[in-house]
Amino acid sequence: MKAYDPLVKQLLDGELTLAELPPELQAEGSEALRLLAAVDRRAVMLPETLDARVMDALRTRARVVPVVPLARRSLGWITEPLELRLRVRPWALGAALAAAAALVLVLRGPGGMISRQGPAATVSALPESLLVRFVLYAPGAKQVGLAGTFNQWNQSATPLVRAGNDGVWTVTLTLPAGQHQYGFVVDGRRWVTDPAAPAVDDGFGRRNSVIAVGGTLRAGRVL
Amino acid sequence: MTTPRYGVLVLATVVCAGPLAAQRDVTARLAGRVPPAVAAAVRVLADSAAARGLPADPLVDKAIEGGAKGVAPERVVAAVRLVLGELDAAAAAIRAGRVAIPDAETIEAGAFALAAGMAGPQITELVGLSTDPYAPAATLRVAGTLTALGVPAPQTVELVRETIQSGGSGADLLALPAKLQSRVARGASPAQAAAGLARPDEARGPPPGQREPDKGHPPRNPHRP
Repeated sequence: MKAYDPLVKQLLDGELTLAELPPELQAEGSEALRLLAAVDRRAVMLPETLDARVMDALRTRARVVPVVPLARRSLGWITEPLELRLRVRPWALGAALAAAAALVLVLRGPGGMISRQGPAATVSALPESLLVRFVLYAPGAKQVGLAGTFNQWNQSATPLVRAGNDGVWTVTLTLPAGQHQYGFVVDGRRWVTDPAAPAVDDGFGRRNSVIAVGGTLRAGRVL
Repeated sequence: MTTPRYGVLVLATVVCAGPLAAQRDVTARLAGRVPPAVAAAVRVLADSAAARGLPADPLVDKAIEGGAKGVAPERVVAAVRLVLGELDAAAAAIRAGRVAIPDAETIEAGAFALAAGMAGPQITELVGLSTDPYAPAATLRVAGTLTALGVPAPQTVELVRETIQSGGSGADLLALPAKLQSRVARGASPAQAAAGLARPDEARGPPPGQREPDKGHPPRNPHRP
C-alpha cells in the first residue's frame, strides 16, 4: 500500500486544498483525490429480512445441543476443577501455631517423648519364619492336635504323630516370627498346656502356652 | 485453592477405605467361628480399639480361640473385653515410657507382659530401659516370658535392667528365657534361677567344649528342631 505524504493526507482530510500543497506534492495529491473520487459512496441498503434471518439462525443454533456420551460427561464432571476456599481466621492460625510449637517441645525437648516407631516397625515386618518342633508326652492318647494363634485355633489343622511306641507325640511346622499362644488338644476334647513352655492365663479359666519365634535380632538391633 | 473433583473423591476414598476394610476383615475372620452375636460384639470392640490406635487382631484372635474351645458366648465377649483393656493399659504404660506413638507390635508385647503378671509401671520402666539397640517390643516380650515362667515381676525388671546396663548384647537379652528354663530344669526355682543370670558369662554358659562338670547337659529345648 502506498504511504501518502502527511500533507497529502491533510488534503484528503479536507484540511488543505490542492493549491496549498508544495509543487512537488501536487501530482501526488491529484492522484489521491482521483482515487478517492472513484470510490462508490452510495449508501448500502440492507434487506429488511436480514434481522429476522440472523435471529432465526441464532435461535436454531442455541437449540442444537451436542450429544455427549454419559461416560465422557462423567469424566468431565470428575476432572472439572473444583474451587476449595479455606478461610483461616487469625486467631485460629495463632492457636494452630501454638499447638504445633507445643507438640514439637513435647516430642523433641529435654526429657520429652521420642517416637520409636519407624525403623523398628519396618524391619520387624520383614517376613521370617522358623521350623519349630512341638513335643507332648501323652501315652494314653488316641490322637493329639496342636491349636494356636498360628492356625486360627483349629485343633484338626495340625495333628501330632506318634514318635515310636513310648507315648511321645510330635509335629514340626514352620511358624512366622513373633509370639504365638497355643495348646495341645488330646483326643479332641482335652486341652493341655505344653509343660516345656511358659504359659499365661487364656481368659477362659485355662492357660495357653507361649512361644516366641525368631525374627528378633537383625543388623545389631533387637527387635 | 482449586483441585479437580477426583482429588476430593480420592481423599474421601482413602479416608473411608481403611475402617471399612478393617471391618470387613474382622467379619470375614469371625464368620463361622463364633455365633453372630459374638461377632457383632467383637466388631464393635474392634472398631473401638482401632479408634484408639490399638491393634484389633488380638481381639479377633481371642474370640476365635473362645469359639474353638467351645466357651459360652458371653464369656468369649468378656475375654475379648479383657484383652481390649490390657491393650489399652499397655499402650498407656508404653506412652508413659516416652514412646509417643507405640506400634501394634509393642502394644501387643506390653499386653502380653501384663497378662503374664507384670504391672503398668513395670511396663513403663522396661520401655524406658529399652534404649537403642533394644526395641521396647523385644524387651517386653522377654520380660513377659520370664514372668510367665515364674520369675517375680520386680525381679524380672531388675534382671532385664542388669542385662542391658552390664552391656549385654541383644542375644544375651533374648537368651534369658532359655537360660532360665535350663536352670529350672536342673532343679532351681524361677527366682533362684533368675538370680545372677544378668551377668553375660552366666547367661552364655561355659565356652564350647568346656562343660560344667557338676551340672551336666542342659535339657534340649523341645521347640527347636
